[in-house]
Amino acid sequence: MKRFITLFGVLSLLFSLQFIGGGFEAFAAGPDAAGDTFMDHASKGLETFWNFTGFHNVHFTHLIMIGVGLFFIFLAIKYDYEPLLLIPIGTGVILGNIPFLEGYKIGLYEEGSVLNYLYFGVQQGVYPPLIFLGIGAMTDFSSLISNPKLMILGAAAQVGIFATFLGASWMGFTPQEAGAIGIIGGADGPTAIFLSSKLAPTLMGAIAIAAYSYMALVPVIQPPIMRLIIPKHERTIKMKPPRAVSKTEKIMFPIIGLLLTTFISPSALPLLGMLFFGNLLKESGVTERLADTARNSMINIVTILLGITVGASTQADYFLTTDSLKIFGLGAVSFMVATAGGLLFARLMNVFLKGDNKINPLIGAAGVSAVPDSARVVQHEGLKSDPNNHLLMHAMAPNVSGVIGSAVAAGILLSFLM
Amino acid sequence: MNLLIVDSMTWTITVLGWFIVFVALVFLIGVFLTVPKILTWGTKRALRKKNRMAKKDVAVEDDELVITGETNAAIAMALHMYFNEQHDEESNVITIKEVKKRYSPWSSKVYSFNNVNFPR
Repeated sequence: MKRFITLFGVLSLLFSLQFIGGGFEAFAAGPDAAGDTFMDHASKGLETFWNFTGFHNVHFTHLIMIGVGLFFIFLAIKYDYEPLLLIPIGTGVILGNIPFLEGYKIGLYEEGSVLNYLYFGVQQGVYPPLIFLGIGAMTDFSSLISNPKLMILGAAAQVGIFATFLGASWMGFTPQEAGAIGIIGGADGPTAIFLSSKLAPTLMGAIAIAAYSYMALVPVIQPPIMRLIIPKHERTIKMKPPRAVSKTEKIMFPIIGLLLTTFISPSALPLLGMLFFGNLLKESGVTERLADTARNSMINIVTILLGITVGASTQADYFLTTDSLKIFGLGAVSFMVATAGGLLFARLMNVFLKGDNKINPLIGAAGVSAVPDSARVVQHEGLKSDPNNHLLMHAMAPNVSGVIGSAVAAGILLSFLM
Repeated sequence: MNLLIVDSMTWTITVLGWFIVFVALVFLIGVFLTVPKILTWGTKRALRKKNRMAKKDVAVEDDELVITGETNAAIAMALHMYFNEQHDEESNVITIKEVKKRYSPWSSKVYSFNNVNFPR
């Protein structure tokens, strides 16, 4: 304390030296060469500082978006809706909507800013394939291999993509924009970002936010549709347990899947290639270290970067448009159509299946992708109808085939519309 | 809502796109229904060959090649119990080793008292 007082005393003595010999009067009243006094300088400095602050640049749209960001964080913490996505995105939305003075390389859309560099991965579609690599290394395809016919439910649920494409075209969006909006129905965030970055970069923020929001709201959107379409007695159907899958089959799946799907839809190569590569790392059994990195550290890093930049891309002046509102509306419809498509197709399949081969139509809802949330919703709804009926493993089959289906659909849209 | 006002190209992409997704996945289904059959055929062939070499005349049944989930679970459980309960399989010989200590007088009680007789 004594040292501090001494130091402070010396500094104040040095500072006061400038006022000796009439300097104080000059400081108080004397104008400089430009004719400005100290008070003018001070007020100008304060004014500049004020102009830089968020309080001066704020617009009510910024506040709306900050409210949206806070709402996402609330949903994630209070209701546990996809917290790994909604927390980074919600924070990103707040970050992207802090008002600032443009021209100082601060904002996401300003060339050379840090956020702009991070956004590069989204703009050029770098992050989505890396996410797919992690998903591949995480996913166990055994339920799908043991009962391949359930894969068709993943295709049926993709009706959401194409119905939304039709709806968006009808609402006046260009074919490219309509394609990018349609992919929201695929309920797959990385695929939506990948396709919209190629087809409609200007709408990417809205599309990504819509896709991730509806994915987080799967537990809210899907159950009423399930109860509406599937009668109670069909919800209690018990499916026979999946057969054991050999290691050879598990290793062959990613290799055959990669070859077949990419030959059919080469435009989806970055997504499908990485998905099956990740799965091969997992199933080969000899690259455990790589698989471990892909499904833990890497996917976590990319999720952080993707979430925060996608959130920050919702800068109010770019985001709050009527187009965004239309996209949100179309997104909701596409989720509902996709769910209904999967459920109805599952009921249709039951017409042709006999005896204990019959499937519980609830699992059709998992065909929308949104891994693994929609499968969890199916399990939950199944348990409500019969507390001993566990559908999770069965629902994982259409769920993962939905991922493959939506990536194939993205590739098809890309090849038609690019 | 009149969707017919949408141009024919949009309809083409919609119908054809969905159809291709279906075809791709149906193709995968076909492959994955066939793969287990091929693998079973290969295993049966190898077993038959092995039997012939061992000069056994035993037909390989399909049921023998299918291991159900329940069987796998039972095997896994048995292995788990075996590996985790090995400590029960002990020699049952308990040996109590005598602890030998070298004598050290540093804390001996004898030295902490004055050997002075109390007056009687």
